[in-house]
Amino acid sequence: MSEAKRQDERVRTRNPLQAALSRPSAGAIIATIIAFLVFTWPLWECVGDAQACTANGFLTPRGISNWLEVAAQVGILAAAVTLLMIGGEFDLSVGSMIGAAGMVLALSIAEFGLDPWMAALVAFGFALVIGALNGWLVTRTGLPSFIVTLGMLFLLRGATIGITRLLTDRTQVGGLREFTDGDMFVQFFAGDLIIGDFSISASVFWWVLVTVVAWWVLTRTTFGNWIFGTGGNATAARNVGVPVRGVKISLFMATAASAALLACIQVFTVASADVLRGEQKELEAIAASVIGGTLLTGGYGSPIGAFFGALMLGMTKVGIPLASIPAEWYFAVLGIVLLVGVLLSNWVRRRGTGVRS
Amino acid sequence: MTTATNPVAESATSSDVPLIEARSLTKYFGNVIAIQDISLEVRAGEVVCLLGDNGAGKSTLIKTLSGVHPPDSGEIVLSGESVHLASPRDALHRGIATVYQDLAMCPLMSVSRNFFLGNEPTKGWGPFKRFDNEAADRIALEEMHRMGIDLRNTSQAVGTLSGGERQSVAIARAVHFGAKVVILDEPTSALGVKEAAIVLRYIVAAQARGLGVILITHNVNHAYPVGERFVILDRGQQIGTFEKEELPREELLKLMGGGAELDKLSHELEEYAAEVEQKGLGNSDVGTPVS
Amino acid sequence: MQLKKGLVGLITVGLLAGATVAPAAVLADGHEKDIRIEVVSHGQASDPFWSVVQNGVNAAASDMGVTANYSAPGTFDMVAMGQLIDTAVASQPDGIVVSLPDADALGPAIEAAVAAGIPVISMNSGSDDYAALGILSHVGQTEYEAGLGGGTRMGAAGVTKALCINQEVGNTALDLRCQGFADALGAVGGTSEVIAVDLADPAATQATVEAALTADPEVNGVLTLGPTGALPTLEALNSMGMTGEIALATFDLAPEVLQAIADGTMLFAIDQQQFLQGYLPIVMLTLHNQFGGLIPGGGGVVLTGPGFVTADNAEAVIDLSAEGIR
Repeated sequence: MSEAKRQDERVRTRNPLQAALSRPSAGAIIATIIAFLVFTWPLWECVGDAQACTANGFLTPRGISNWLEVAAQVGILAAAVTLLMIGGEFDLSVGSMIGAAGMVLALSIAEFGLDPWMAALVAFGFALVIGALNGWLVTRTGLPSFIVTLGMLFLLRGATIGITRLLTDRTQVGGLREFTDGDMFVQFFAGDLIIGDFSISASVFWWVLVTVVAWWVLTRTTFGNWIFGTGGNATAARNVGVPVRGVKISLFMATAASAALLACIQVFTVASADVLRGEQKELEAIAASVIGGTLLTGGYGSPIGAFFGALMLGMTKVGIPLASIPAEWYFAVLGIVLLVGVLLSNWVRRRGTGVRS
Repeated sequence: MTTATNPVAESATSSDVPLIEARSLTKYFGNVIAIQDISLEVRAGEVVCLLGDNGAGKSTLIKTLSGVHPPDSGEIVLSGESVHLASPRDALHRGIATVYQDLAMCPLMSVSRNFFLGNEPTKGWGPFKRFDNEAADRIALEEMHRMGIDLRNTSQAVGTLSGGERQSVAIARAVHFGAKVVILDEPTSALGVKEAAIVLRYIVAAQARGLGVILITHNVNHAYPVGERFVILDRGQQIGTFEKEELPREELLKLMGGGAELDKLSHELEEYAAEVEQKGLGNSDVGTPVS
Repeated sequence: MQLKKGLVGLITVGLLAGATVAPAAVLADGHEKDIRIEVVSHGQASDPFWSVVQNGVNAAASDMGVTANYSAPGTFDMVAMGQLIDTAVASQPDGIVVSLPDADALGPAIEAAVAAGIPVISMNSGSDDYAALGILSHVGQTEYEAGLGGGTRMGAAGVTKALCINQEVGNTALDLRCQGFADALGAVGGTSEVIAVDLADPAATQATVEAALTADPEVNGVLTLGPTGALPTLEALNSMGMTGEIALATFDLAPEVLQAIADGTMLFAIDQQQFLQGYLPIVMLTLHNQFGGLIPGGGGVVLTGPGFVTADNAEAVIDLSAEGIR
């Protein structure tokens, strides 16, 4: 048996297209491109005529900034949720955490007089504790994370409403502008970067940053290998020395932290917190992940794919009103787009890898 | 855990102190005696086959030796030193690698990522410590070649490999990370004849590199070619330990139980065939015994 | 290769789908530009109150020959609503109509619209805040005065201790209604207490009202601020056997409310005539666009209420309510 690597006759060279399509994010990229084409279709006649090109607003600087911002809000969550799903677990409580962390932030500033940066630390600390609690409950009890985090979804939301009303007799905490105007720290979350005609919200930069960090951790670190192993076969991973429990608890803390980040961005942007913020966001984040190629069964997925999944959702949410689809049909169309996105992503993956799973 | 240096020269002959020794191991589950008073020993470069029918206690013995269950009485001795195995990870650190049938592999991960799970190679330092993808791919491919496993591409998903190939990855992993004893739990049960032969070949390769191998199987045809010593269990008890020289294959089969029953069944079938022919039921084809 | 064919097929399907949702009107030389108005409110599509507003919008659009698009977030979420306003601005409409439940949160988005040169009119809520943001006019009912009117009527009917059932505490408009109500009662020596309920949960609302009434037997008047509060309260009184014993009044109309008034189990309803809140802004913006900046109201509030529906006119209003006009 020769030691040298020889050209095996069983290895074929795939053309670059097929190789590219077998990446988990391929389906999401294609879905995003199609969504883009759909929402800009009416403008194709416009080549050369700038006025017509911007007729429905989708391609104007303002429009682009708009759907980027909407995408960013889903994307920030989706990056962390993707890592957790690759690790084999779900977190349905991120939506409630957005409301809870946001309220912690606002109350710290308005009721307890903390500086914005300190209040943000408190909010993040709160989220990390709850995230660790989620992880501890799941790994200790062996219950499906779906159920554990569903319970936490209700618990967090209820506690947010109850405690807020206890402290303020209202369900919103507003009037934060006097504390946040001119504060440099707040600008990191709520500011906009003006580039020419474009006003890119800070959330977009956070989105890109969080996605890059997630991708790096997953593919370029030991911890990332542990995430794959934990989701692929937790028993096997445990037996070769991977600290499965620690990995899962860390991932739950990451999703909670991403919710806190989004809460800070929202609260600082609109200068108020609401007990109902974040409703249904957990489902949108999971949808973006799945469109991005992440399997619900764990062990496989891509933060880059989730990035494009979120981008597609953002384009769709803004594109629907801009296409003059009546408001009563908004949810129906969004649902159809979601289903098509997931089906497409699945089909591309099966075609590319040849694996039926 | 260190990578194994080239051990071929010194491992060809067994040393005197057994790598692993089980002395009178007993394990109960409630009031069920799973195994009682089992003793065996494995030296470097030896293949010991653990045989017995289903329910004989092979699984329990293996789980005890690999740290999953603590024994209720008896002791485990590693290279002359009596030890208490706290967990499978503890056993692994001490050099006992177990390859279970359900494989300890993550099907969606690449071969190299599976190979290095828990022992990832890194480059860089501090917060920039990176998982060394290139080194992982290269070393995995090399190690497999050294074992005689010709894998096409270590970045393909383990799920795309055949059953025999997956077993071989697991064995190569154990060998590479310095296991002294490899315990294989029914490695060939789910494989076809050709694949089983491939796995057996890798077992011999591991043996040649100086490891001790405990091979659990209920298939005598697979055990006989590679084993040097046979430990036979039946209903939790140790029927006997035999060196290969003392024991022809048929004797082995009989000892494993089933020998007597097969004889009896043979007898019954012959009687039935004779009866049918006598009574002339239908035409002669019906009564012809199927051999 | 099959893969490539599949991709081409998918893209084709996508394009066909796009074709069906594309807006029809694109600029062409020589034609007059169609007027398009974007309406963004905080009222969910499922809320019966807001579907009347939407009917007003549609009726005005059809009468004036313009396009009007209505959008709202799925939940009472100022972040989402701000983003919808941004989207509306991005589409470069000829006018924007918004409701203003939280001027602080929506301020930046609206100021951006005004800065982009788009005429903005507010309706329904925000009668105190709209001017500071550069909004041209407000169409609606001033909440404090409406509450005041209701309180005066209730006081005249002999109510001394009342509950104000608020289904959206924090919505300044609703808070002002209860405030006006309490002040009017206070002027004649009565009191009022605010009870908060969840607008999306009628069963819980009913339970809360029953609990409040049981806790304080001296209560002899209840004011609710909308159908989501009124209907469960009617149920609550029913199940406690107290129908007709407590003076009940509400804001805004619904078929059950009108029936209760006609039956005499409810004293009156304060109708802000939200159909007009959908209808008038469209008219105003169309005229503003067509005739060089006309704006009725002189920058002030164009009042659509309060209109009082009592046993005298209930029957007539019932028919209109069934048509989604009142």
